[in-house]
Amino acid sequence: MMKDFDYQVVVVGSGAGGAMAAYTLAKAGHKVLMLEAGRDYDPKTETPMFKTNGQAPLMGAGNVDKDFGFYDATVDGGWTVPNEPYTTGKDSDFLWWRARMLGGRTNHWGRYSLRFSEHDFKGKSRDGLGADWPFEYQELAPWYDKTEALVGICGTNTGLDDMPDSAEGVLQPPPKPRVPELLVAAAAKKLGIPAVPMHRAVLTRPKDDRQACFYATPCGHGCSIGAAFQTTTSLIPMALATGNLKIITDAMVRKVDVDSKGKVNGLTYVDKKTSQDIKIPAKVVILAASACESARLLLNSKSEHHPNGLANSSMQVGRNIMDSTGTGLGAHIPALEGRPIYNEDGHTANHLFIPWWGHKSQTKGELDFPRGYHFELGTGFRAPGAGVSGDLQGYGKSLKEQAKKHYGAGVYLALRGEMLPNEHCYMEIDEAVRDKWGIPVAKFHWKWSEHELKQVEHGLKTAKAILETMGATFTEPLPSAEQAILKGGQIIHEVGSTRMGESPKESVTNQYGQTWDCDNVFVMDAGVFASNPHKNCTLTIMTLAMRNATWLAEQLTNGEL
Amino acid sequence: MAKVIKNDKGALYQSTISRRESLKWLGVLSASALLPSLVGCDVNDKAVDVAKEAIKGHWPDLSLPPISVKGYGKDPDMIIPPSSPWPKTLSAEHLTLVAILADILVPRDGDVPSATEVNVPDVIDEWVSAPYKRQQDDRLTILSMLVWIDDESTLRFAKGFAGLSSVEQLMIMDDVAYHTDETPAQYKRVAAAFSRFRKLALAAFFCSPEGTKDLGYVGNVPIAGDYPGPTDEAMEHLNKALANLGLAL
Repeated sequence: MMKDFDYQVVVVGSGAGGAMAAYTLAKAGHKVLMLEAGRDYDPKTETPMFKTNGQAPLMGAGNVDKDFGFYDATVDGGWTVPNEPYTTGKDSDFLWWRARMLGGRTNHWGRYSLRFSEHDFKGKSRDGLGADWPFEYQELAPWYDKTEALVGICGTNTGLDDMPDSAEGVLQPPPKPRVPELLVAAAAKKLGIPAVPMHRAVLTRPKDDRQACFYATPCGHGCSIGAAFQTTTSLIPMALATGNLKIITDAMVRKVDVDSKGKVNGLTYVDKKTSQDIKIPAKVVILAASACESARLLLNSKSEHHPNGLANSSMQVGRNIMDSTGTGLGAHIPALEGRPIYNEDGHTANHLFIPWWGHKSQTKGELDFPRGYHFELGTGFRAPGAGVSGDLQGYGKSLKEQAKKHYGAGVYLALRGEMLPNEHCYMEIDEAVRDKWGIPVAKFHWKWSEHELKQVEHGLKTAKAILETMGATFTEPLPSAEQAILKGGQIIHEVGSTRMGESPKESVTNQYGQTWDCDNVFVMDAGVFASNPHKNCTLTIMTLAMRNATWLAEQLTNGEL
Repeated sequence: MAKVIKNDKGALYQSTISRRESLKWLGVLSASALLPSLVGCDVNDKAVDVAKEAIKGHWPDLSLPPISVKGYGKDPDMIIPPSSPWPKTLSAEHLTLVAILADILVPRDGDVPSATEVNVPDVIDEWVSAPYKRQQDDRLTILSMLVWIDDESTLRFAKGFAGLSSVEQLMIMDDVAYHTDETPAQYKRVAAAFSRFRKLALAAFFCSPEGTKDLGYVGNVPIAGDYPGPTDEAMEHLNKALANLGLAL
């Protein structure tokens, strides 16, 4: 099939990292072959636009088949993937979200797109914990600008220390805040906490072949008009248009192959349609299969020259896994009862959010935990679904009145925070269990440290204070941090399994995602993250992939590789 | 239009939805047993602490065979969702009871149709017949509640709930439809189960086009240009709320 296509690079994965790497290389004139483990997927024809929950089975409610609801754009994926198990160690709770479809997890994500700051990249220099990244924020800033411009991010420059400004003209205007978000902002302000426009990968102005958001139909369904960013409506078709990209779907990579000297020279993948192994040559390999899937692939690519798995002389492959911390607190707000109804769909998610405000307090030693968190706000007159809020009583006319009184009067503050790497959080290969294709599966180990628990405790107290300032009353005490913190992996921000660094001893790749051990193997997904700031990871995955694929393109052009 | 037809023998729910397959609900014993059987309820409802609560009154100890059909899988057609993803399992009698209860919860209100008129009983039937864990938990809760109501009706009035006059039906409703700290011990469990049913029936009503309109949701329509944000009226309400709370934007 590929006889007439003399590709220079093979990219494994079509999500945020893989699609950006492929687009960048294709645009620079290099031929790229992309392997995707899932099926082909076209949002233009497959997105259930404008569908209501009432039209779906179970009023759209989620279940083991469709974890985030019937219309979740994720197909053939979720917390479980048929025939592709994973295991966990003793006393370890870890959930691994996967998607098996073209575009990977970009078809369904929150699309929150916050830059990491200088502060975020140099945490260890500041507090001695975790690892620093091998570059400065200033080196990445122009790449953030380029990525934001290409992806299309709405938001504003706030000037806050947690939110580095974008270059002039890069951001698209954000949508106006909703009433409950303004009430949160007013309450937070009284407590000295800012609430500002969220940055989201949603177009509010048209771009390329993509339309601007028309503020209807939830982003979680996917977006047939391309307003909400997913690689299947943007980077992938744009890369295909160069003529320099070919894609093979249903191609589950089994291992990276090496020659007799241990140099990587190809890949073996399972063609899922025929269950046949197919061996292909490769001059350069980019792994972007998602942090833990890429690490699994490296660990499963053992050979005489690479007895601990490929690119693993540091023994850091699979270590240092971090998710975001997650918890939340909600309340009924009497002041919002019976408020005038208007269309609060907006661009589906947060128009305002609460960024981390505690840098100065931390510097002064006033906090008992390192690093920060933010709050995402759950509010609004939402489309009816399988749940109705409120402690409802009785029947008849008064029942509907109670339900209407509660409608749009709930506010939920969701905490997303930075986790530090620790020795108890890692993955390895479970040699005893294989997936349908005979590939040994990942085994996860997990334990939160005091850092995360203290942070969650602080977050719950702060959320309670904000909600009480809005007039909420709580009859129950707050749960303990151990009870409240969500499971590892549950926020779906797992990163760090092939981290980058300054030295081959402590890291798997250099700052360009090039593995120290194999100069023609790169990692361009969240595996390379040296830390996991509280900000959602996808924007930084794409920014690194653009920067690092650009560097790789230069290497190829100059004949270095 | 779906409706409940009253006749000499009581009542019958007549659906407008064709039921391709109707597996009869098997293995139900209306034993009026006093054995505890934990009632599933959602997090917002007050949990019934069976261990602490003196078990008073009757409670059917149902033994339901698990639903073993397949779900719709991980790649269903989302553009044309399956209209009948699995066989419905409520018997005609229980579907009728569901319909009567749903219409007591959401009766016709002027131009706004009742629960039954927008096919709420069929949504409940689909829900309790689904092969997923949450729905199977609800199935035991709701079927137990239905059996309890007919048992209670037989004990009080010597006939099934569907055969009672409206006044008699509401006498029972007034005992089960309030799940609070003051609920008498013998009604606690059925009140918790009824709460779950109430939320499901209400959700199903609001998910219908007529119910969505009645609730007031006005989204899911495309807007040309920028998102307009709150109306003047909505901002006025907010400003009053802010003033009452001593807050400012």
